[in-house]
Amino acid sequence: MSIIDIPKEQDLVEYRVDRILEEANTDTRIVVLARQDAALDTFPIWVGAAEGHAIKLALDTMITPRPMSHDLIKSFAEHLNITLQRVVITDVKSSTYYATVYVSNKGIERTIDARPSDAISLALRAPCPIYITQDVLKRRSTTNLDAWLAKLDSKPIGTPEVQET
Amino acid sequence: MITQMQVKGLMFDPSNNAYIVVLRDEEHSEMLPIWVGKSEAGAISMALENVTPPRPMTHDFMKSLLDVYDAKVISVVITDLSEHTYFAKIHLMYEDSEYTVDARPSDALAIALRSNAPIFANDSVITKQSSDELQQWLENLKPEDFGKLDS
Repeated sequence: MSIIDIPKEQDLVEYRVDRILEEANTDTRIVVLARQDAALDTFPIWVGAAEGHAIKLALDTMITPRPMSHDLIKSFAEHLNITLQRVVITDVKSSTYYATVYVSNKGIERTIDARPSDAISLALRAPCPIYITQDVLKRRSTTNLDAWLAKLDSKPIGTPEVQET
Repeated sequence: MITQMQVKGLMFDPSNNAYIVVLRDEEHSEMLPIWVGKSEAGAISMALENVTPPRPMTHDFMKSLLDVYDAKVISVVITDLSEHTYFAKIHLMYEDSEYTVDARPSDALAIALRSNAPIFANDSVITKQSSDELQQWLENLKPEDFGKLDS
């Protein structure tokens, strides 16, 4: 939400949304990101059911009869001439991913803190590229495993919406 | 004509597994119930109860986007009701110009509550919805029924 500190290009790896999986045990969805270049790598992010649905609608380019929340954000941006530049998964702390949405208007760039689910939903609708920082990529593998196990152990940890990102 | 409304509460409607946002005017003579889904109800209840979630929820992000460019929500209006679907408009002010954005009432209410913007309803909507049975059912509710969202 402040004037920014753009990560260097080489620190970012571009991903695309590959698919959305249903997690049978918990009421969550897994957003599977895949590397945009040829390298074989997938990056799963657990999100709540509603968040997963919002991403799926965009992925399937479904037009809903009424604008959904992320369509409204896009509509705000269009009305105010704000461009969504890119979204970046910037951090992971205790199995929670953090994202930043880069927006610009008349050359003024700003960043907004977001949950990855909102960031990805918006990126698909904008459309704009999705990046993950090298730092997050390095630190993820065990984190994912931890998250997976934690979620298997204790089903009702509270609302998936908050727990998610 | 439009009437200013306040969000009076949020209830669970077990008959169709949805939530009802209850709007009332200041004199409490008019009532407008709006059915919303679970996650939409969550977004409204967080704003009603002034809960700051650990991570920004979708409407918090929406508010941030407006804030970083100094755009303001002036008001939201529930404009129409057709085939059980309510329609709303959000009025924004940005750099001395006004913009009107089409929205679902649930999003309009969630952003209005986060922006402390007034909420209005077209009088035609208020009249249209008044099925007497519903009105009675709502009026017979005790204040305790307008409790918190328990989920």
